[in-house]
Amino acid sequence: MEIDRGDGRKANQLRPVSCTRAVLNRAHGSASWSQGETKVLAAVYGPKAGTKKNENPEKACFEVIWKPKTGQIGKPEKECEMILKRTLQSICILNVHPNTTTSIIIQVVNDDGGLLPCAINAACAALVDAGIPLKHLAVAICCSLAKNGRVLLDPNKSEEQNMKAFVYLAFPNSIQSVLPEGSLQVEGEPMEHGIITSVTHGVMSVDDYLLCLDKGRAASEKLSVFLRSSLK
Amino acid sequence: MAGKRGATPATYSPSLTTAKGKKKPPIFTDDANWVRSDGRHFHQCRPAFLRIATVNSASGSAYAEFGNTKVIVSVFGPRESKKAMMYSDVGRLNCNVSYTTFATPSRGQGSDNKDFSSMLHKALEGAIILESFPKTTVDVFALVLESGGSDLPVIISCASLALADAGIMLYDLVAAVSVSCLGKNLVIDPISEEEVYQEGSFMISCMPSRNEVTQLTVTGEWSTPKISEAMDLCLDACSKLGNIMRSCLKEPLSAPEE
Amino acid sequence: MAAASGSNLSSEMEVDAFRRLFPLRFHERHLLQSIRPDGRTLGKARDTTIALGAVTSANGSALTKIGCTTMLAAIKLEVMTPTAESPDEGCIAIDFHMPPICSPIVRPGRPAEAAPVLAKQLSDTITSSGVIDLKELSLVGGKAAWMAYLDIYCLDADGSLFDAALLSAVAAFSHLRIPVVSLNDEGRIVLVSEDNGGGKLEKEPVNKEKRKLKLDSLPFSLTCILHKNYILADPTAEEESIMETLVTVVLDSSSQLVSLYKPGGPVPAHTSAIQDCVALTRQRLKELQKILNGAISDMEVD
Repeated sequence: MEIDRGDGRKANQLRPVSCTRAVLNRAHGSASWSQGETKVLAAVYGPKAGTKKNENPEKACFEVIWKPKTGQIGKPEKECEMILKRTLQSICILNVHPNTTTSIIIQVVNDDGGLLPCAINAACAALVDAGIPLKHLAVAICCSLAKNGRVLLDPNKSEEQNMKAFVYLAFPNSIQSVLPEGSLQVEGEPMEHGIITSVTHGVMSVDDYLLCLDKGRAASEKLSVFLRSSLK
Repeated sequence: MAGKRGATPATYSPSLTTAKGKKKPPIFTDDANWVRSDGRHFHQCRPAFLRIATVNSASGSAYAEFGNTKVIVSVFGPRESKKAMMYSDVGRLNCNVSYTTFATPSRGQGSDNKDFSSMLHKALEGAIILESFPKTTVDVFALVLESGGSDLPVIISCASLALADAGIMLYDLVAAVSVSCLGKNLVIDPISEEEVYQEGSFMISCMPSRNEVTQLTVTGEWSTPKISEAMDLCLDACSKLGNIMRSCLKEPLSAPEE
Repeated sequence: MAAASGSNLSSEMEVDAFRRLFPLRFHERHLLQSIRPDGRTLGKARDTTIALGAVTSANGSALTKIGCTTMLAAIKLEVMTPTAESPDEGCIAIDFHMPPICSPIVRPGRPAEAAPVLAKQLSDTITSSGVIDLKELSLVGGKAAWMAYLDIYCLDADGSLFDAALLSAVAAFSHLRIPVVSLNDEGRIVLVSEDNGGGKLEKEPVNKEKRKLKLDSLPFSLTCILHKNYILADPTAEEESIMETLVTVVLDSSSQLVSLYKPGGPVPAHTSAIQDCVALTRQRLKELQKILNGAISDMEVD
C-alpha cells in the first residue's frame, strides 16, 4: 500500500498516541490524551450526592461539561456533551453509587481532527483514575473514507475536510483485561465487536460503512492494548 | 462538508414593490361603504375552527384557527409547584405565550411574549376554581403558529377550551373577542392589516353563560357611545363564540376532518 | 419474571398499574409475543401523515405526524450578501425548537436539553446529504443570495423526534416556492407582486417565475431501539425512556447511507443488528417516499 497521506502515514496507521493519568491534583481523577496534534484533558469530580432533576435516583447520574479551546458553548459542544454522556453511562456500573452525580469536564487543548474519539478515550482514562466502577473500557477511533473509496484511520483535520465521509466509532475493549478496581461483573460475551457509539458525517454506501467498521475494530484492539498498558 | 457554518450574515426580507401612483387599498379609507379586504361585513367574525385534544402528551390541549390566526394551547397539571413557591391554599395558574419565528411576516426571534402571558393569566384566573387544586400549579402554554390579527382573544378562547379538555374545574368557558375602531367604523375580529391602522382597540373576555366579564381592555381614543356600541358587539359575539366552543367540547374525539 | 406474573391481572386498572410499576417487565412480556403495547409488530412504524402549506406566512411549510409525534416546519426566505468564498451560493440555517407545549418536561425559560443536539444533527444531515444545491439559492452572483431559515417546531413529543423532524424538513423543502423578485435602484432585492406584472416593471426580474427547488436524493430516517435481541422500529416516548439504546439510520433515495447515529446506550450494536436496522430503514424509506409524493400531488390538485 503506497503512502499518500499528508504526514506520510500508511492508511491503517494511527497518529502517535500518548496518555498521562493524574495530571490534576484537585480533581478526583484526571487524564490527558493526545493523538498527534489533537489533545484533550479530562477531569472527573464525584460521585457527589444527589442527582439532577428528571434523573433516575436509583442509578448513578453523569454530567459532562465540554469546554472548547476558544469561544462559547454552542450546538456542536452540546452534541458532544450528549454523546459523551451517553457513551460513558453505558460503560459504567450505574447501580453501585445510586443517587449520585459524577461530573466529567472535558477541556479541549488542541483540535486537529478526531476530537470526539479523543475525548472519549481521555474521559475513559480519567474515570479509571477516579476509581469509578466500570463494566469495561471504551476505545474510540475515527475512520475516514477517501474519495477513492479507501479507508484511512485516524485522520487529522486537513484530511478530515477532504474526505468523502468519516465515522467516529467507540467499541468496548476486550473483557479479559484486568480492571484496577477488580469490579468485573460481565459474563464472557464476545462483546468487543459491538458498537457503543457511532456518529457519521458525509454520504457513503452501507458497504463502505461496514468496511470502516472492520478497520475500526482492528485498530481499536491496538488502542485498547495501549490503553490497558498505560493504566497499569 | 462539515463545519461550513460561519457567522450568520445580516439578512433582510424583500419588501413589496410599491408602484408609484397606486391608490391605497380600500382598507384605509374613512368611508362607510368600504369592504374589508377579506370580504366580511364590519360586524362579522372570521370563521372559527376549533379542535380539542390535539397534543397527546399534555393533560389537555386545543387548537384554534380564525382565518390566518393559528394558535395551539397545551395545559399541564395540576402538578407540583416550583420548589421556591410558598405553601398556598389555592392552586396557582401559570401562563406563557410564545410566537414561532415564522408567525409574523418578517422573521421574529420566537421569544416569549410577556405582555400576552400576563394578560392571558388575568383573563383566565377569574374563571378557574383555584380552590379545587390546592398546593399545585396548572400550566397553560400557548404557541402562536401564525399571527393573523386578534391574536390575544384567540389565545384566550383557545386556552379556556384547553383547560376544559384537561378537566380543570371552571365556572364557565371564557370567550374573548376584540373590536377595532377604524375612522367612523367599528370592525369586529380585525385582521393584522386592520390592526395596524386602527385608532383604538377594545377587547372583552367573558363567561357567556354567567354574563360575567373576566377582562376588558381599551386602548386608544374612544367616545362613550362608541364604547357601549363596541361592548354590545363584543358581548353578542362572545355568546355566539361560547356556543361554538361548547359544541366543540361535545364533539366526539374522532371528529371528521373539518 | 414469575414474581409479578399474577393471576389477578384481569381488570384494566391493574394492567395500568403493572405498566407503571414494572415498565420494563411490562414491555418485555409484550416482546415475547412479538407485539408492542400499542398493537404494532416490532418492525412496524406508526401511521404517518404529511400536510403541506400549513403556514401561509412562510415560503414553504409542512406539518408531519408520526403517530402522536407532531412537527411543524416552515421556511422563510430572506436576502443576504453571499460570502467571498462562495459568491454564487445561498445558505440554509436550520433550527429546532421544543416549545413548552410539546411535553411536560419542557418548562418556559428552560430550553430542553435535546433541542440544540437535534438541531445540530438535523443541520448536519441535511447539509451532508446534499439534498439542496446551494447554488440554486443564488440571486445575483456576489451581491445577493437567499438565506433559507428553516425552523422546525415540535408540537407534540412522543418519541422518534429526529425522524419526524427530518421528514417535516424535507417536506417543507419540497413545498418551498421561491418568489418572483427584482433588483431595485438601491441595490436591494424587492418582491414583484403578481397582479401588477407585465409592462410596468422598470427592471427585469432577477427570478422570473415562482419556482420550486430542485431536490436531489431526499434523506429519510428511521430510529430503532435495540433491546436484548429485539429491534423495535419507530419507538414511542415511553419505549425510549425504558429501553435506552437508540440507533438512527438515515438513507437517501438512492440507498446511500447519510448517517448512522448511535449515541451510546447499554446495548452494543453488532454488525447483524446494524444490517437489520438498515434493512428496516430501506423499507421505511419506500413508505415515506410514497406518503410524501401523495402529499405533493394532493397539493398540486388543489
